[in-house]
Amino acid sequence: MTLLSDIISASAHLHRSNHLNSDEYDRRIRELVEYFRRLQTTKALESFANDESFLDILSRFSSGYSPSGKLWTRAAHFLASFDGVQVRYAGREWRLLVELVGQASLAASTPLLGATLVKDAMLRLDPSCAVFTSSHLLLVRLCLQAKAYSSALPVLNKQICHFPISLGRPSSEPSVLCADHGSSVSFMTEASEVSSKISYRDYLQYFLYGGMVYMALKEWRKALHFLGIVISMPSTSSVSLIMVEAYKKWVLVGLLEKGKLCPPPSITTPHVVKVYQSLARPYIILAHTFERGDLKKLNAEIDAAMGVWSADKNLGLVAQVVAVFFSQTVIKLGKTFAALTMADLSKQVFPSPVCAEVTGPAVSSLIMSRALNATLVQTKDHAGSSMLRFSSIHSLPRLSHELDLQSQLKQEMKLMETLVINLGATNINLGLSDEYVDSLHKGQVWSGSSEVNPTGGGNWT
Amino acid sequence: MDTTLPDASGPSRADMDTAALEATAAITTPRARSPPKFDLDTYIANYTGRTRYDRLYLIGTCSPLLSTDALKAAIAEAKTSKDVSRYERAVRALADVAPNDPDASLDAAWVQETNRYVQTQTERLEHELRGYKNNLIKESIRMGHEDLGNHHYETGDLAAASKAYSRMRDYCTTPNHITSMLFKMVNVATERGDWMSVQSNVHRLRNSQSKPEDAAKNLSKISAASALSQMHQGSYLEAANSFLSVPPDLGDTYNEVITPNDVAVYGGLCALASMNRDELQKNVLDSQTFRNFLELEPHIRRAITFFCNFKFRQCLDILEAYRPDYLLDIHLQRHIPQLYKRIRTKSIEQYMIPFSRVTLDSMAKIFAPTVVGGEARPTDISSPFVQELVGLIQDGVLNARIDLEKGLLVSNQIDLRAEVQRTTLESLREFNEEAHLRILHAAVLQAGLDVKPEKGEGPGLGKGGRFPRGPGRD
Repeated sequence: MTLLSDIISASAHLHRSNHLNSDEYDRRIRELVEYFRRLQTTKALESFANDESFLDILSRFSSGYSPSGKLWTRAAHFLASFDGVQVRYAGREWRLLVELVGQASLAASTPLLGATLVKDAMLRLDPSCAVFTSSHLLLVRLCLQAKAYSSALPVLNKQICHFPISLGRPSSEPSVLCADHGSSVSFMTEASEVSSKISYRDYLQYFLYGGMVYMALKEWRKALHFLGIVISMPSTSSVSLIMVEAYKKWVLVGLLEKGKLCPPPSITTPHVVKVYQSLARPYIILAHTFERGDLKKLNAEIDAAMGVWSADKNLGLVAQVVAVFFSQTVIKLGKTFAALTMADLSKQVFPSPVCAEVTGPAVSSLIMSRALNATLVQTKDHAGSSMLRFSSIHSLPRLSHELDLQSQLKQEMKLMETLVINLGATNINLGLSDEYVDSLHKGQVWSGSSEVNPTGGGNWT
Repeated sequence: MDTTLPDASGPSRADMDTAALEATAAITTPRARSPPKFDLDTYIANYTGRTRYDRLYLIGTCSPLLSTDALKAAIAEAKTSKDVSRYERAVRALADVAPNDPDASLDAAWVQETNRYVQTQTERLEHELRGYKNNLIKESIRMGHEDLGNHHYETGDLAAASKAYSRMRDYCTTPNHITSMLFKMVNVATERGDWMSVQSNVHRLRNSQSKPEDAAKNLSKISAASALSQMHQGSYLEAANSFLSVPPDLGDTYNEVITPNDVAVYGGLCALASMNRDELQKNVLDSQTFRNFLELEPHIRRAITFFCNFKFRQCLDILEAYRPDYLLDIHLQRHIPQLYKRIRTKSIEQYMIPFSRVTLDSMAKIFAPTVVGGEARPTDISSPFVQELVGLIQDGVLNARIDLEKGLLVSNQIDLRAEVQRTTLESLREFNEEAHLRILHAAVLQAGLDVKPEKGEGPGLGKGGRFPRGPGRD
């Protein structure tokens, strides 16, 4: 039990040292971690709150570990209250605990419990969540399994801009882990082992799953962005099936959001686009039929490739495409007509004679769901057929509309600010200072060669 | 769709080149039924050279009223030349129209004799050319090629003619030689319908270093040829500008291709189809040079004036009245439907500009009088005029919406403030997304995580696996 008291005293020593400057703090905490890791190798089994060694000990008990157990409460308590700065020194242990919690909650088929814990822990360790870690993937997977889509949003909405990298060269300022870093990329390095070894599959899956979360929430635009990330990732000579999978969904979501076949983001490699086009043939055909605006053909196309949709598990999206087709067509009519009778409308939408009773309720539900800005008027002269009057394009309730716009603009502004911060961090990582770009530019002028910046990111700055 | 234009379905094979058109005109071109306004003899007297036959033949095959006269004239024309294939074609066409006419049977003796003459002539000229080549006298070789080219041109072997002319190039010693050679090539290319070659030769003519007085003399022909080729390539605005810049001294100097009347008609129609009212007023009606041409064709001038004065009905009426004439013109025939459609679309567009809302009835009275007279509900959604408007709106030509309840065409009021807000938000979003994509790209590359084939792994096709790039391999 001397060991326990040793640990307590060592830790308590640290507790009192909050007023120390960062260098001193850094030194001490490193010593402590070193000490604990040594203890761990000697198989010391001690329980200890509010510090890293706690995690090791928990992992010893993993077999008897479940959400109902005693250890779960402790883990939950720890993950909800750990010191973000201290945990930077014990990234590996933290990750192991997070993974453990995830596995345990899965094993007990209560993924939601795990998801909340993991999410809180991640945000606690790195509030900006700009560095991709394996926990990201774990979180979306748990959320998808729990069908608790919105609980992944706090993390998904943060933009990932970095991957844990080894900072090979000595940075200009001798920074310590506990210092106040502008960007989380400087402490979430490869060496910290906050994330397990990442392969390209991990982040592709993360963005695909993230897109699926947004799809489930019907936030088509964000879903499109996430899928766009997946399909535009740089690849050398091969294409991951995850990317193909994402492209299929991209086509469908593009139809839902924009009503047309969206071309892949401009930075996608051309040979990859060719592969997509050959592998996602039925989807592209579907999109073209959608664009041509013939409901009958669209239905025929969907029926013809039913096997494909269900094999790709995209049946739900395809069903929504049909639903959106109708509203898209009606909204498009609103750009051509200011008012027309329901009979004319159904004639325009359905080439084959469909009785107006079908369109009536469909249009009313569109208006009620505010998807369509129009009014239905019963007229006397056209007995039986009511008049659909589209509101003029800009007759929205002004004030609330403007407020809404303002908040959206603010949101985008904030997003852009974080992007700029992350861009700065990226530039530092890549060593792309203004001077470097200048000299590179000069070098290009001198040599006149087409050799571009070897990092490939230079063209962005 | 276009009910006021009964002949809108006229020659629709606009992409057919003239040579092919000539050969198949009798079969494929629906005939222009209404009687044309011009007198055949006066009309054809305006032209010289091989174009006379081409024009006569076209009229003969396209106009049932004039076919016999025109074809007989064409046969006579062909017989004075040395072109046997033309004669045979004209006779065949006449036999279809008037089998009992004495001219409708082949004059076998003439054919045989001409064929023999052509044969010997070709051999003689080729022989002479070989002789010149052995003597290595540049001027003689040039003339030998020229003679051969002229001969081929006269006998209708246009490909050989253009080949012979282009061989002259190496033996041309003075700018005059080059100019005359290029003009010959332009003529051949015009007849072949090879407008790209006309264009490139015109370009060379412009750059040729001939004497200033010669250059000034040729300028009118050059710009006329260039305008013609632009019109045939469908770039009507450029064609209009070129026609407008043709100097008035063109006169009768270029009758083997184009007369001043043609310049007025082609230029007027192209301008109507491509310019707005201000430009028409400034560039066409007030133009000093083009006025001379317009005086030859006063109805074109009237049409343009009506257009500028917002009297679209009268303008369209004039054009409609002359449609049969233009359908019998060798150069205009293919472009009339397109030109007329553009003029009509543009008049509807221009008509709409000053109004914020117009009743469909009043529009229909101007643009579709036959519909107003003929149908019970001219502004119903299924009426062709409304359908035409729908098409124009959907193509983005008209910025308006149709109100079928009140029978109005309402122009869209653009709320600038909302528009700016919307576009700002949109561009901000797009920028953010793009920026994120690119930052991520850089990060992926930096971390060395780009998607690459892994060694020692089978082509697993399950989710998360990867496959060797089979279908996309090149």
